[in-house]
Amino acid sequence: MAAAKAPVPSLGHVLVVGGCGFLGSHIVSLIAKRHPQTRISVLDLRTTANRHASPTVSYHDGDITDLHALEALFAQLRPDAIIHTASPHFHLPPAVHDKVNVEGTKNLLAAAQETGVKAFVYTSSASVILGPETELVNANEDWPMVTGAAQPEHYTSTKAYAETAVLAANRTPASFLTCAIRPAGIFGEGDVQLLPPMLSAFRKGQTKYQVGANDNLFDFTHVENVAYGHLLAVQALLYSHKMLPTVPLDTERVDGEAFFITNGQPVYFWDFARAVWHEAGDRRPLSAVWKLDRDFAMGVGAILENLFWVLGRTPNITRKQVRYSTLSKYHDISKAKRRLGYAPLVQLDEGVRRGVRWQLENEAKAAQKKDQ
Amino acid sequence: MPGVKDIAYYAVHPTQLRSIIQWKVWHNPVHERDESKESASLKRCFHFLAQTSRSFVAVILELHPDILVSVAIFYLVLRGLDTIEDDMTIPLAKKEPILRDFHNIIEQDGWTFTENGPNEKDRQLCVEFNVVIEEYKKLKPAHQAIIKDITKRMGNGMADYVKNAEFGINDNGVNTVKDYEKYCHYVAGLVGEGCTRLFVEEGKANPALLKRTELHESMGQFLQQVNIIRDIKEDFDDKRRFWPKEIWSKHVDNFEDLFKPENKAKALACSSEMILTALRRADDCLFYLAGIKEQSVFNFCAIPQSMAIATLDACFQNYDIFKRNVKITKGDACQLMLESTQNLQLVCDVFKRYTRKIHKKNNPHDPNFLQISIACGKTEQFIESIFPSQKPPVDEKKNPVNAEEAARLKKEAEETKWETIYMVSAVIGTILFISGIMLVVAWFAGARFDIALSQAKEQLGQLFGSGGSINASAPLDTKPSTDHSEL
Repeated sequence: MAAAKAPVPSLGHVLVVGGCGFLGSHIVSLIAKRHPQTRISVLDLRTTANRHASPTVSYHDGDITDLHALEALFAQLRPDAIIHTASPHFHLPPAVHDKVNVEGTKNLLAAAQETGVKAFVYTSSASVILGPETELVNANEDWPMVTGAAQPEHYTSTKAYAETAVLAANRTPASFLTCAIRPAGIFGEGDVQLLPPMLSAFRKGQTKYQVGANDNLFDFTHVENVAYGHLLAVQALLYSHKMLPTVPLDTERVDGEAFFITNGQPVYFWDFARAVWHEAGDRRPLSAVWKLDRDFAMGVGAILENLFWVLGRTPNITRKQVRYSTLSKYHDISKAKRRLGYAPLVQLDEGVRRGVRWQLENEAKAAQKKDQ
Repeated sequence: MPGVKDIAYYAVHPTQLRSIIQWKVWHNPVHERDESKESASLKRCFHFLAQTSRSFVAVILELHPDILVSVAIFYLVLRGLDTIEDDMTIPLAKKEPILRDFHNIIEQDGWTFTENGPNEKDRQLCVEFNVVIEEYKKLKPAHQAIIKDITKRMGNGMADYVKNAEFGINDNGVNTVKDYEKYCHYVAGLVGEGCTRLFVEEGKANPALLKRTELHESMGQFLQQVNIIRDIKEDFDDKRRFWPKEIWSKHVDNFEDLFKPENKAKALACSSEMILTALRRADDCLFYLAGIKEQSVFNFCAIPQSMAIATLDACFQNYDIFKRNVKITKGDACQLMLESTQNLQLVCDVFKRYTRKIHKKNNPHDPNFLQISIACGKTEQFIESIFPSQKPPVDEKKNPVNAEEAARLKKEAEETKWETIYMVSAVIGTILFISGIMLVVAWFAGARFDIALSQAKEQLGQLFGSGGSINASAPLDTKPSTDHSEL
């Protein structure tokens, strides 16, 4: 595998599905930076946002739930590798997740299998092994997925079904190689789900609270590292493809496998929040922080949720938030380190600095636009 | 004898007193040395050992007999070397050749050194160094070779350091973090290597420890760095400076500014960075301990490490280190010794406990806040990797692998539910049907349900003893119903 770890100038022709999204656009940039001779195509529902300026990148509007359109596009592009990052926003209704995550992924697989694609990398989620009762303490890929009736988040179930479909399609036909990347807690420049709520909590003065004892370690991953994991996976699959029909040893193989990708630097949950707040300008001393007992906060959350349900709004403190902020959720990423040669490119503190600065600048720009 | 202050302290800290008593009462050495068989020179060596090392003598004396004397002599040889290096009254021209040649000196019968200054505390050891040499020569040749090799490398490292200091290359202090770690390597990392080779030689440790050189290096570095952090004030008063300029210059312009009250926040941030540098070694130390096979060796290695992490906690975010020598209490020390003389899991518990204590004091506005959190997380994650608190759950419920299976499972569950409903209704229906037929047959046969009903009512009334009207009518109804029951 050593040869696969050295960066190569070109990954051939890579199609990034969802390449205008948060993660997808970072993947496009990183390919352009690390493998500059790669031809990159982007498929997205709308390709107006997050466009890369390089002439090596072409943009194509399209809907992955439309199989015929996909087949036509694939026949025209004939990519060597697919990176499938497209996924609807977590808060959309279940039917959307079924349609995009499950059906859309199957369509992409079918189109790829027909047009001789060599490598297919799917962006799954680290949450596929997280059940409603369990904590993830140094969890690795041996943990079973939690889906269906046992999985309270329908989104997560559909990510798991899609991942299973992708891995099941590995080596059918024999020259089609697939794998899945499971990122945990993605944040960074352009992120809409993790940093913005934390920054708004800071503006609301919520930095004076902490729920629980803050002994729970949590994986947060800078988006560039997640992108890097995808690149390494493509490179490894293409390398295995070159070795065909030789099949790698079970302990080295990448095709047909899932990999957790994190920063490999789990920190205590509230430490991450406080680092973000500090970067945004918070200077509240630790001694001025109120520590709320977890069970008490759960009770408050339950009461508020019910009160606000009557009003048709979401309260500042919910049981889900309490659970997440007091939950241990971190992974053992030795499999990715060993088989993909992965190590984070961006350290956690550097990632926080870059992410928060981007968010603040972006907000300032948005405010300027409003004024004009 | 304990002073009034101590008595008052333990009166309000009974758990600490309990630890002290437990340690004194219950701790039995794994091995005890047999003084009757010792030669006069060896007895003299143990005398020096007790004099020169307050912290190590107890653990050395309990070591397995196979390595006890070798480790003691190793310690004394290095102590002799250190005493010569430390002595500022010896001119460089005289000092340097001795340091560089010390590995040969320890083989010269009767060699002694009387030129130490009168204030050098371990002066007498050098004056009678011939006893150490005498005992060194009785050691196994393999042990001699290890001690000789380490002495040679340490002597040369010290000579280089002394020379640099003399020529003002590092203005009597350490410049870069690399220099700092190099210094710690010569004075402590090498000791770790020498001890490891002795342990492996005698089969007391896993030979793999020799291949993972960063592990024994970390053992030495961790102890030495913690000492350097704790002794900041004492070293400063003695005009020595081990904190590297690369670190303190980020916080203050001149080293002595660290001690000015107006720079308190900067001094704390600087000490945090020093503590972070040491803390990053904690997981390696636990990994190393996992390779020890013999209890006395385990204790010998684990006790100083536990003390070190506790000391690190005592120094963290504590401005007192710039004013005086901060120490862990005797009660805590005994508690740590109790926990460090059993097994790796308990030592891991100690590390986890102190890691969390450190993390709880971590200041969000410290420049290294997140780095410290990462270092704590790394130690915790390592402990989890050797003693997992959770196993991967078994997929008992057979989670569905795709939407179709999920739909099928859901449908199956639904079908099972309806099957149950059908079954229960069939049973109830059958019972009702048969009861109905029996009632009809009974009615045709002339059964008097009106009487049965009123009798049942009345018996119920008797049972609960209520309703006067039912009681009153009871005697009237009794007769016909009893007749009937005889039918």
